[in-house]
Formats: sequence, structure tokens, C-alpha cells
Amino acid sequence: MTARTRVALIPGCLALLPEHASFRDPVAELRAAVETATSWLGGAVEIVATEQGHRVAVAALAARTTSASDVERSVLVVLNGSACRTEKAPGFLDERAEAFDAALGAALTTPNPQALRQIDGALGQELWADVATSPQLADLLDGARTVSVDHDAAPYGVQYWVVRWEI
Amino acid sequence: MTLRLRKHSFSDDETLMMAIVNRTPDSFFDKGATWAEDAAFERVRLVADQGAEIVDIGGIKAAPGLEVGVAEEKARVVDFVARVRAEFPGLVISVDTWRAEVGAAVCEAGADVLNDAWGGADPELVDVAAQYDAAIVCTHTGGVTPRTRPYRIEYDDVMRAVLDDTLGYAQRALDAGVARESIVIDPAHDFGKNTFHSLEVTRRLDEMVATGWPVLVSLSNKDFVGETLDRPVGERLLGTLAATSVCALAGARIYRVHQVEETRQTVDMVWTIAGRRRPARAIRGIQ
Repeated sequence: MTARTRVALIPGCLALLPEHASFRDPVAELRAAVETATSWLGGAVEIVATEQGHRVAVAALAARTTSASDVERSVLVVLNGSACRTEKAPGFLDERAEAFDAALGAALTTPNPQALRQIDGALGQELWADVATSPQLADLLDGARTVSVDHDAAPYGVQYWVVRWEI
Repeated sequence: MTLRLRKHSFSDDETLMMAIVNRTPDSFFDKGATWAEDAAFERVRLVADQGAEIVDIGGIKAAPGLEVGVAEEKARVVDFVARVRAEFPGLVISVDTWRAEVGAAVCEAGADVLNDAWGGADPELVDVAAQYDAAIVCTHTGGVTPRTRPYRIEYDDVMRAVLDDTLGYAQRALDAGVARESIVIDPAHDFGKNTFHSLEVTRRLDEMVATGWPVLVSLSNKDFVGETLDRPVGERLLGTLAATSVCALAGARIYRVHQVEETRQTVDMVWTIAGRRRPARAIRGIQ
């Protein structure tokens, strides 16, 4: 049966770009999850991202080895949580970050489009989160079901999710 | 250029550490520390653990001293090469010799490289390298006799002389049948050169790299470093690593060294700055 729409979410982690490759991949688990999610999308993929996130999405799509053939529409969204989860995090420790990420994570993984629309963008900016695409993602997720949460971690004090939905 | 050292091949972006292993009682840096065979073997084990790709085994110190004949040189290195070959099949074995007869014996025992520090003083060495499909290091010495110090040698253009001699030597090796990918050139710092010559050769090393032949540099703790910084043997590591950085930036491929780990870090750092190597693990600012 042909799926109508598939939506995947990845973080705008610049370590995913090929020009930033190391001998030992510092984001190996994330990269594997991203490849799983992007390979699940169809051949032609719409990208919803900021300008910087767009580069990550293009690189992620270029790195996948396969794509699905039975999808009417595929969308790849770039978004991530705060960058303030620890003292070593890029934005240092902010006590509000954990609750912010928990709410955002719940809205994404349920999914709950209404909760996603209510994410505090101003607070997100203070917490160095990349949530500019959350309104568009909320619109995409109306009536969606979560297929898989492939990654949910904050290894460098930055909250990443890789999630797949189907509508 | 892709490099083949007999059975060992290395891609264009690889740099190689050639660790010095002296089977001599009187070399300038270690002063006989590895003269005993077991001590030399421990040194091989150590540098292999430290990641050296090549060991350069020498039976005669470079400086003047007691004459060491062919039979004595062979006694010092041939069986030792066979022992290293047996225990370390993946390690490249180089032998520092200018003599064809010694070269043939060590190749028979399993050596991969003939490191002729004396610029082709024995013209038959290239034939031996060809016969055994071994690699050869073509150095510049300005034509001096082996085991002599430079004395009032002058060049109109030292790098021009280095290029003429090493490229001429490389061509002789090629004509003798040595594989193109198994020929290495080496300016031979301090050999037939005063300190100013060695400094200029270091400064202009990119001209050697531009020839396309893989370049070896042997800088480790040498007098040009000591004279430049006014430091005795034993206090020349920092100067050696500074010179190593300049040669690495120019693109030298093989580093003949006493201190493997320090040189490896230096070369890796410079090679990465030059964009020829990835960082080990970079995440700062790109999470």
C-alpha cells in the first residue's frame, strides 16, 4: 500500500556535513539514525529548514544509499532542541533547558501538533534551540502517527531527535 | 605519488615514520644504547608499538671513526634484519647502507628499502634494489666520500645541487630497473652541507616535493638543529620538531626519526592544518 506522506526529522548538527568528517565519527549513532530516517523517505524530498539546516538536510540526503519507492510525498524537517543542557554545552548550562526539551520532545514523539504550535520560540532562542521550523512541522503532523523515534539524546549538551511520522 | 616499499604500499595522503635503529656502538644520539642485539630488538619492538611504519637499521655510524668493513657491517645487520622480518611481517625494514654487497645480503634477509645516505657512492646499489624489487632512497651529499664531514663546501644554489643530484640518482635507479613507485629522494640534511645549507634546504623543501618524487627527510637531532639553537645532542627535540613542521607543511612523506611519537604528532598536526588529513575527532562548535 502506498503511503501518502512521510515526514522525517533530523537535527541541524554540522558534524553531519562531509567537510567536517573526522577519523573517528563523534556523532556516529546520530549519523546512523539519520541515514535510517532519510532512507525511509522517497526519492524526491521536500526540505523544511533554515538556511544552515538546509545544508545539513542536503548532505544527509546525499549520504543515503537507498530511498523508498512507494511514497506520494516525502518531507525532511530540520529542527533540534536546546544547546544548554550541560556546563560543557555550547550555550552553557541553563536550568530551563531540560524542561523545554522535555516539552518539545513530547510534542514531537506523540506527536502533538497543537503542543508543537505552543512552543515558546523566544525561550527557544535563549536556549540556542533550532525551532524555527516548528510551525511548519506542526502543520505537517496534523493527523500523523509516529512510526519511529530513531534517536533521542543530548551527547554534547545539544538535544537531538530523529523521528519518523506517516500521514 | 603512491609509494611502494617492496611488499608494502602506501597511499598518497599517508606520512610514514622511519624509526632509527642503530646496531652501532658509537652513533651520535644513542651512543651505543642499542649496540647489543637484544637491545636493538627491544628498540624495534618499542617503535613498532609507537606506530612507526618503518625501521631503519644501520650498522655504521655516519660520522668518521673506526673503519667498519663489509664483513663486519653484514655481521651487524643481516641476521638482525632476518629476525625483525620474522617477528614483524607488517613492518617495513630499511637498511642504512651505501654498499651493494651489504644491500644484497639484507634484501635476501627480508629488507624492503635500501637507504643510501651517501648519495650513490657505490654505483651497483641501484642494481641490487632492482634485483630484489626493493625501494631505494636517493640522497644528496655533494659527492663527498662516505663517513666524511663537510669542509668548506660551497654551492651556487644548494637546492639546485640537491635537485640535480637526487633526480639524477632517481633516474639511474629507474634506468637500472627499480620501480618508479619505489624511489624516494632525500636532501640529506648535514651531509655535504653546513648549517646554512641545511636551513636553506629545509626552507625550500617544497621544490623537492614539486618534482613528484616522494621526499624523505632526516632531521632528527642533527647538528644544524644544534648549531641553530646552540643546543647539545639530547636537547634538540624542539628544534627538530620545528624543522619537521616546515618539512611537513611542504609535503615530505617520510620522516627518519629518533622520537617516533613526538614526530608523529607534529606531522599529523601540520598535515591536518595543510588539509591533507582529517582531525582525529572534531566536534567543537559543530554539535
